[in-house]
Amino acid sequence: MKSLTVNGVRRPFAAEAMPATLAELLDALGATAGTVVAEVDGAIVGPEQFATTPLADEQNIELIRFMGGG
Amino acid sequence: MGPDQLTIAGRQFASRLLVGTGKFASPQAMAQALDASGAEIVTVALRRVDIDNPESAAGGLAAIDRDRVQLLPNTSGARTAEEAVRLARLARAATGIEWVKLEVTPDPYYLLPDPIETLRAAETLVAEGFVVLPYINADPVLAKRLEDCGTATVMPLGSPIGSNQGIQTRATLEIIIEQSNVPVVVDAGLGLPSHAAEAMEMGADAVLVNTAIATADDPLAMATAFKLAVEAGRTAYLAGPRAATRLAQASSPLTGFLHD
Repeated sequence: MKSLTVNGVRRPFAAEAMPATLAELLDALGATAGTVVAEVDGAIVGPEQFATTPLADEQNIELIRFMGGG
Repeated sequence: MGPDQLTIAGRQFASRLLVGTGKFASPQAMAQALDASGAEIVTVALRRVDIDNPESAAGGLAAIDRDRVQLLPNTSGARTAEEAVRLARLARAATGIEWVKLEVTPDPYYLLPDPIETLRAAETLVAEGFVVLPYINADPVLAKRLEDCGTATVMPLGSPIGSNQGIQTRATLEIIIEQSNVPVVVDAGLGLPSHAAEAMEMGADAVLVNTAIATADDPLAMATAFKLAVEAGRTAYLAGPRAATRLAQASSPLTGFLHD
């Protein structure tokens, strides 16, 4: 079993279901990549890099997007 | 003389009304109000994706025409300079937008901006190439310090965010407007179009409105009213208003009739 912490919540993945990249994680969550920006262990990753950003066991991922605000 | 335009960081805008996108009841209401407002600078916030409902917060913002409208990500929620800088960097990574409305509000009750953390964050962000529009209390000394550090505007508050109290900071706002070499955008607390007109009549370069439009019964109509008020106030300012006097000043001639 592997895991990622996504937006503060630990999510376990069976070894064969572990997302290999940020793009695969977003797919698994059902989030549209275009409006999301990520932090992987504190390092910012823009949407153009999601497909080429590998994920490893026990990483801490923050997924952030724009919403209404003043 | 060319058209009366607002210039921020070299970009020109015909509209002097900035609008926030929070608190609208629906994406449709927001889109209609933004359109009616004529706003060319529109603020947005950054938040964690709701993992259980990942598309929930995106509504409406994707429809904003970014060729016509300058999106202005804010750092709302930041309590320290470090958090604000992190949010600004995330916004830039997400969209390439280098403009940021810098707000650092550690106090959850009045949401008053922390001047020290705001100045610290501004120094970092300006050095990193951001176009920084800082939300501040109406403190003329702080406004000067921010201008000196290279911010694109200053955004002093009229009253606390979302409070609809109007301009409670008039005396110090007047000093900021008098002294500033960067545009002064009166932000926060403007609850009625007359409040916006008042700020513009004083010589503010622009105002930012969110709650008063978004939470009105009819946001489209309120956006229209604010647009007209900002135009009226700006026009009055340019027309050169006279100061108030204690005694009456007859507006009809007092000679050549009856008593003479």
